Amino acid sequence: MSFDISIKIAGQAGQGIQSIAEILLKVLKLNGLHVFAYQDYMSRVRGGHNFMQVRISDSPVYSIKEDCNILVALDTNSVDVHRNEVPKGGAIIYDPHSTMVDSPDNRFIPIPMNNLAKEVGSPILSNTISAGSILALLDINKMDAEEFVKKQFAKKGEEVIEKNLKALERGYLYFLENFRSWKFTDIKAQKNNKLIMINGSEAVGFGAIAGGCQFIAAYPMSPSTGVFTYITGKAKEFNIISEQAEDEIAAINMALGASFSGARAMTTTSGGGLSLMAEGLSLAGVMEAPVVVVNAQRPGPATGLATRTGQEDLEYVLHIGHGEFPRFVFAPGHPEEAFYTTIHAFNLSDKYQVPAFILIDQYFADTYATAKEFDLNKVKAISSQPSAFSNDYKRYQITKSGVSPRAYPMQGDFTFIADSHEHTENGHITEDGEVRNKMVEKRFRKLKGMQKEFGKPTYYYGDKLVPSSFKKGKAKTVFLAWGSNYGVVRETVDYLKKQKRSVAMLHFNRIYPFPRKEAIAFLKGAKEIITVENNYQGQFGNILKAETGIEVDGKILKYDGRPFTVEYILKRI
Amino acid sequence: MENTNPFHYEGELSWCPGCGDFQILKSVEKALTSLNKKPSEVVLVSGIGQAAKLPHYMKANGFNGLHGRALPPAFGIKSFNRDLTVLVTTGDGDCYGEGGNHLIHAIRRNIDITVIVHNNQVYGLTKGQASPTSEVGMVTKTQPFGVVSLPFNPIAFAIAMDTPFVARSYSKDIDFTADLIKQGIETKGFALIDILQPCVSFNKINTYQWYSQRAYKLDNNYDPTNRVKAFEKSLEWGDKIPIGVIYRSQRQTYDETLDRLGIKPQVNSQPDLSKVKSLLSEF
Ligand SMILES: Cc1ncc(C[n+]2csc(CCOP(=O)(O)OP(=O)(O)O)c2C)c(N)n1
Ligand code: SF4
Ligand SMILES: [Mg+2]
Repeated sequence: MSFDISIKIAGQAGQGIQSIAEILLKVLKLNGLHVFAYQDYMSRVRGGHNFMQVRISDSPVYSIKEDCNILVALDTNSVDVHRNEVPKGGAIIYDPHSTMVDSPDNRFIPIPMNNLAKEVGSPILSNTISAGSILALLDINKMDAEEFVKKQFAKKGEEVIEKNLKALERGYLYFLENFRSWKFTDIKAQKNNKLIMINGSEAVGFGAIAGGCQFIAAYPMSPSTGVFTYITGKAKEFNIISEQAEDEIAAINMALGASFSGARAMTTTSGGGLSLMAEGLSLAGVMEAPVVVVNAQRPGPATGLATRTGQEDLEYVLHIGHGEFPRFVFAPGHPEEAFYTTIHAFNLSDKYQVPAFILIDQYFADTYATAKEFDLNKVKAISSQPSAFSNDYKRYQITKSGVSPRAYPMQGDFTFIADSHEHTENGHITEDGEVRNKMVEKRFRKLKGMQKEFGKPTYYYGDKLVPSSFKKGKAKTVFLAWGSNYGVVRETVDYLKKQKRSVAMLHFNRIYPFPRKEAIAFLKGAKEIITVENNYQGQFGNILKAETGIEVDGKILKYDGRPFTVEYILKRI
Repeated sequence: MENTNPFHYEGELSWCPGCGDFQILKSVEKALTSLNKKPSEVVLVSGIGQAAKLPHYMKANGFNGLHGRALPPAFGIKSFNRDLTVLVTTGDGDCYGEGGNHLIHAIRRNIDITVIVHNNQVYGLTKGQASPTSEVGMVTKTQPFGVVSLPFNPIAFAIAMDTPFVARSYSKDIDFTADLIKQGIETKGFALIDILQPCVSFNKINTYQWYSQRAYKLDNNYDPTNRVKAFEKSLEWGDKIPIGVIYRSQRQTYDETLDRLGIKPQVNSQPDLSKVKSLLSEF
């Protein structure tokens, strides 16, 4: 890592924070640089205080920093809130005509964004002006930015492209003309480094499409809506039925209906909506209907912090739905993993005919990160549905594996019933105790197969990821992470390694069926086990204890709705 | 009409002897037989209740889901496989109470299904509590001082929602009911058929005698396409209760919209890998 720069773009909702960030991020990505960007926003469409954090480096970056090297303050409040986060030698870009600054020191770089925008045509161009100035400050080649602007505005016509090119140039040159002596840092483009930039929502949505999703029904709720809109935006192209349901109860039941017809079906929601789905999920359990449920967590209870992050639904998802039935619970750690995990979730839900949950959170959903291009040949949509049946077909045939052959209507001349009651092999209502026992046992026999499937924990030991066969060289201190905390804990390990500390991370992507054997193997011999979670109770630590008997020695918890930083974790070790 | 009934189910039926549900079952079988439907291309979708047990008592495909939640899976089933004939067999509690919200939106979507409501004006399965269509004053164990809430008028409601096919029947007249169900199936879009169904065990007010005295068939001069007249007709409830097709209209179905968009996914089909690959360039 030869450089590591953090930028904060702050202002009110509606001021164009995202437009500035978008130009910046995409141009940096085209330069082969690694970026990581997180947006902190309030639950309102206009006003308030919002900011976007962007981290740039020549090697992969996985988390945000508390301080920043560059602050772009779009209003006076942003200067007041963030100026102390910019150390000496850092830069604070602001518009001297709209932003009041008390005693500006040599970090402050006044750029009259609004006036410059008016000069080149319209005040709305001020975002492109800012982007131009920041790119000049970072010493990024102007031509790359121009190329991007041409692509970005291609659909909007020549005039818009022309104006934005002018604005970009104006911002860029204004900086060079007035602050040429400002030497910030050496950023070297790595043009041959082919990267994609994707956020967590898109990665799950893209994974769903690659996983063969054919039906999605959902009800909008932050922070899950991004997955729903991504898939819906591609629905026509990929032959997917997408419906906004009247509520989450309808959403899950629609998905189960489609699943009955043979579809690869899914739904997306967040905590409150998930609660409404509870009975439907139980129905999926008894009907043995494949369905993928994405739950994007936010802090609760109830409405909680609507636009913020948390990991509070873990225990809930393990148990949601009355009665007992097996399920998969996945919690991908980064976008690339989310992509593959989502494809696996569709395949495995189909293979075992159980609901598969994918747990993400607001931080994960809204975070952009660069990654190597996904390998589309690595995991493919594979159906486990047989193609032919005899006329005495039984939907709930008792089998050794617990999985009964799943048919769909009109696959032959036979008929079948999917039933919510306890049922016979034919799907008819029964109250027979013996049949009941057989059915419960059949459903739970699936766990044996499920346990062997995709989703071993990742042991991160300094620079390398160690596969699950790893036996030697264990660390004294092991941090436990699940879901979105992969990145921040990984960077904490990197930091402590440099201090010659014996540390590692054990990250869980699959939480149920719990990878018991692997967890025990990895944690055996550790002197200290610390769980890092965005909740109050240390839910994962509790699950670990219940599943393995291993008790954590410490918990680093955060439940203020904001994501972890390495700094935050280090202070609590 | 064929004289064999391919929908006949051999097993035991657990309804009370004399229940109107037996008549509705016969009507459904008759309607499907007269349309030459094959059991394998029919799906009966239901929630929970006495009415909702019907899918178990016929030879056809069935989705017996949750109380109040028959319409959402019916949407999922039909939208994904539009070659299926999808019937929903539901109760007044299932469809107008627990699942009321879904009814509003299912009609708005106008998916091509036929919804048959066994309206016995009571909760049968849970042993006699008031339902959304129970009469004011009806005394039950959970309404010991009599029902106070106004009964729901499904016909007026459905007309207000511009439902393509709105009918009422009386279970005792099996041929008449079968014919209405047949028309409902033939209708493109959402069809609602509310069937007056005596519950001999728990509804001592709305009995066979009570319905027989009141139900009368609409005559040939009645024009179901006149929405205002239909609405007027829907308010008729008391000494005389009209049965027959009360309202008809036409509008684009959800199925047609999907067809127009070319959205028709096939079971077990893989996503087009080259198309999926092309998405990578967007990131
Ligand atoms: C969520 C839920 N709440 C309550 C019940 C209990 N329950 C089952 S059927 C029913 C009422 C049925 O009434 P109706 O739909 O009119 O059917 P009927 O038995 O009269 O044919 C109730 C309250 C249930 N099964 N599920
Ligand atoms: S309780 Fe009423 S509705 Fe239920 S089967 Fe008996 S008579 Fe029919
Ligand atoms: Mg009833």
